[in-house]
Amino acid sequence: MPLLSDPIFGQTMITLMAAIVLVLQITLVAQKSLVSSIYVFALQSFLLAAIAGTIAWFTGAGHIYMAAVLTFLLKSLLLPAILIRLVEQIRIEHEMKPLLNVPVSVVISGMLTLLAYVVAEPLQQQMSFGSPSSLGHNTLPVAVALFLIGFFLIANRRKALSQVLALLSLENGLFLAAISLTYGMPLIVELGVFFDVLVAVLVLTILVGRIREAFDSMDVTRLSRLRG
Amino acid sequence: MALAWLLAIPLAGAAATGAARRRAWMEFIYCLGAGAALAASAFLAAAVLSGGPVSFLNGFLYADALSALVTLLTCAVWAFSAPYTVGYLRGAQPAGAPARLGIRELRLYYALSHLFVFTLLGVSLTGNLGIMWVALEGATLASVFLVAFYGKPTSLEAAWKYAIIGGVGLSMALFGTILTYYAAFEGTGMETWEALNWPFLIAAAPSFNPLVMRLAFILVLLGYGAKAGLAPMHTWKPDAYSEAPAPAAAMMATAMLNCALYGLGRFFLLSARATGPGMPSKLLIVFGILSIAIATPFILVQKSYRRLLAYSSIEHCGIITLSIGFGGPLGSLGAVLHMAFHSLAKPLLFFSAGNAQQHTGDDSLRNTAGGLVHALPWSGAALFAAVLAVTGTPPFPLFLSEFTMLRAGFAQGHAWASITAVILLVLIFSGMFGHAARLLLGPVPDLPAGDRNRWTVYPLAVLSVVLLVLAFWIPAPLSSLLAQAASLLEVKP
Amino acid sequence: MTATVLHAVLQGLLLLLLSPLLSGLIRTAKARLQTRRGPSPLQPYRDLGKLLRKGMVIPETASPVFAAAPFVVFSTTLLAGLLAPTVFAAAPLSQFGGVLALVYLLGLGRFFLALAALDTGSAFGGMGSSREMTIAALAEPALMLAVFTVALTAGSTDPSRMAQAAIGQSWRFLAPSQMLAFTALFVVLLAETGRIPVDNPATHLELTMIHEAMILEYSGPWLALIEWSASIKQMVLLTLLANLFIPFTLASAPGVPAILSAAALYLLKLLLLAAAVVLVETTNAKMRLFRVPELLSVAFVLGALALISTFLFGGR
Repeated sequence: MPLLSDPIFGQTMITLMAAIVLVLQITLVAQKSLVSSIYVFALQSFLLAAIAGTIAWFTGAGHIYMAAVLTFLLKSLLLPAILIRLVEQIRIEHEMKPLLNVPVSVVISGMLTLLAYVVAEPLQQQMSFGSPSSLGHNTLPVAVALFLIGFFLIANRRKALSQVLALLSLENGLFLAAISLTYGMPLIVELGVFFDVLVAVLVLTILVGRIREAFDSMDVTRLSRLRG
Repeated sequence: MALAWLLAIPLAGAAATGAARRRAWMEFIYCLGAGAALAASAFLAAAVLSGGPVSFLNGFLYADALSALVTLLTCAVWAFSAPYTVGYLRGAQPAGAPARLGIRELRLYYALSHLFVFTLLGVSLTGNLGIMWVALEGATLASVFLVAFYGKPTSLEAAWKYAIIGGVGLSMALFGTILTYYAAFEGTGMETWEALNWPFLIAAAPSFNPLVMRLAFILVLLGYGAKAGLAPMHTWKPDAYSEAPAPAAAMMATAMLNCALYGLGRFFLLSARATGPGMPSKLLIVFGILSIAIATPFILVQKSYRRLLAYSSIEHCGIITLSIGFGGPLGSLGAVLHMAFHSLAKPLLFFSAGNAQQHTGDDSLRNTAGGLVHALPWSGAALFAAVLAVTGTPPFPLFLSEFTMLRAGFAQGHAWASITAVILLVLIFSGMFGHAARLLLGPVPDLPAGDRNRWTVYPLAVLSVVLLVLAFWIPAPLSSLLAQAASLLEVKP
Repeated sequence: MTATVLHAVLQGLLLLLLSPLLSGLIRTAKARLQTRRGPSPLQPYRDLGKLLRKGMVIPETASPVFAAAPFVVFSTTLLAGLLAPTVFAAAPLSQFGGVLALVYLLGLGRFFLALAALDTGSAFGGMGSSREMTIAALAEPALMLAVFTVALTAGSTDPSRMAQAAIGQSWRFLAPSQMLAFTALFVVLLAETGRIPVDNPATHLELTMIHEAMILEYSGPWLALIEWSASIKQMVLLTLLANLFIPFTLASAPGVPAILSAAALYLLKLLLLAAAVVLVETTNAKMRLFRVPELLSVAFVLGALALISTFLFGGR
């Protein structure tokens, strides 16, 4: 069977890319520099777009191509560019100073990955594998893991901008879940989601800028005047 | 078609505000839009009552009695808050904000408010659960700037918390929506966007994978629950409500809360049909009780009355959730009634408290000298009435809805939950009443006489009258709308 | 029986004769990449020959451990090499132990080396063995995790079986667990063989050296033995890496052409892996010693992820 139409090859490639996406998520956890985190996120989004493209290729569904192209343009080019520009504009410090140190964070991420496996396993039990229509279904645990680690990242970050990045990586987990479970949400919903993500980043970056002006820092632990 | 027109009103309003050059035009557009929307939503409700659910563009827009009710409430709150907004923004602004709002700030505020209403109407008027999520996320993004409007450090802090918790919460809800779509996709083989349409979903729900739907419901409960302000995802609420301008906070505390609970209710019905009502109901009851319980101590020891209102909102969110969770005909009726009455009582509370804050320049309950009712006779009286109303004191109609909720609890065999709720409600009543008395009663304070602004006083009078009338007489069309909405919210096997 | 003995003898000879060449090739290629001419690839043979002919200086404080260590190191390393499959899918001594035996034979050698370094009582020896042990303690868990991942998919800890199980499955080497385990094992390989960025095999700088510090007191034939076994160890680890993860080239059928092509492909794989090592060595700078644990913890995390992902993707 020619390579590019062998579904087992497609399955292997998707699984491999999903694993790298997971490794990149853990890299985000361990990463201290803001700018490299943005690049890691861009790479992760690019791999997600590639996964979507692979699924589209093997299922021949046009709207998944659309989702792949949109992910590529929006999440791996446009959003990183916006974030990088913001970093340069307001000249923030590049160290991100997480609350927990790197080894502990990485261990927690590993545990969250296991938790994701526990959560997703019963769902996977009921899925049928091996048929051409099951392509990519086995990445569900990775999607859940991205989601959980994204949560942890938000909680573990002090800098406003790195929280935005964490939120985006969490969103990547959702995209992977959508693409692997159902081959993408219906196009119109997908478009709405993309639009919302874009607007959310714009809103948050404006907010980051204003927080920076008002507090002379992006450290959200300083945002603690409101209590009770 | 009526559905599209209704959505077009705030959108056109936002565009017109963007083009407007003068303050008066913006104010006129805002009030005109609110009035038109109220009329259009009443028209929509009448159409739904007489002819059943209406849908447009293959069910992309869809309204049954429940969504018509939520739409009507959103438009009603908007209509009441529009003149109040005009007066509030003309009045004195809090310390730390620009003393007089410039035309740019006003344009931003009015345009964003239009967009906020647009997204809220989108939530209740779409028949597609995916689009519903998109609209609710849009509502969050539109309201972030309303919270950050004054640009003070505390406003930015509140807006940041709100944006991050809202964003995280909604991402969970999106995951739940994806899983629901997966369940529909797997159960029925439907692969187009129509697979997320409400009539299709609710009919097909029994064929959904219960395991998937259980997970989906938990995620949506956490997500939309965070948006509605259910404990323990409520922490953004006190900050956001106390930092946003009072009319925007009122919109968020009523219209947005309704919309989030409406979305939650839809998913509750779906998963109750797919998995049986046991687990979803229990979860709602637990989260409902937890919300009321967490709000209670904060209400009792609260230092600031704007934050007090937020905790009261958390409590009411808990009451509605609890009532949906109790289920049965009484539970769903209680939830619908409470949603409706709360949407009228809470703006009264926010508006009168906003007047008080604007007049004294402070929202502290500790530093108050009391006797505010002497300086602000209208707002003071309205505040007192509103506190009585939201704590469910008879004759105000919230007594009726809370009573219905409790009866449902006993009828459905949740006696302990009901008893806990009664105790907590009594505690909250005493707390709120004590705070109101300390603020309002007492010797004549050293303050100039207030309540000079008609724009901020008349809405209070109208709202109080409407509330009192509803306590004794609910017009027949409204009562049949409520009854139909309640029966839609009831889990049927 | 005779076949096994013959196989063992041939594989032993292969390791003994080829491992210095491999070290030499790496050294030459590295020099060329740095635009130096560098020594000839055959230089290690000359070094070994020279050392074997020379006399020895033994420190006065040394105990018999110092004398025993070179032989222990040499024999354990060679024995470990006989446990790994090279050209054939079956390793000559596979009845005697699996991959655990292999790892711990290497561990035993390292233990004696560290002991001998302490034995002389010199400051450098103590420093070297303490550093070596620190790194080993961090590298070993990563190594074990990666090895277990492969063992889990194959259902056996016998490297021969592990290799055989992988032969039939197409694309298995692209499975995430395999890729992650491979990466983890590669990092461990760099640490275990004292390569940049962990250790620099070409320096005797007091502050940085690890392996060289341990063998500072050795000279003559004993030094030759130790250097030789270091080369063999490197070749064994490269073999393990090559044959566990890319096993399709192993000869399973008898016959001269099949064996010859398998042998050629085996050498090719070794050369490719050696080229990867060279690339890493030239593109990276040596890490500060305190940063090495971070690198090894990356390897550990990768190994753990590899193990998790065998479950995560259900092997499907």
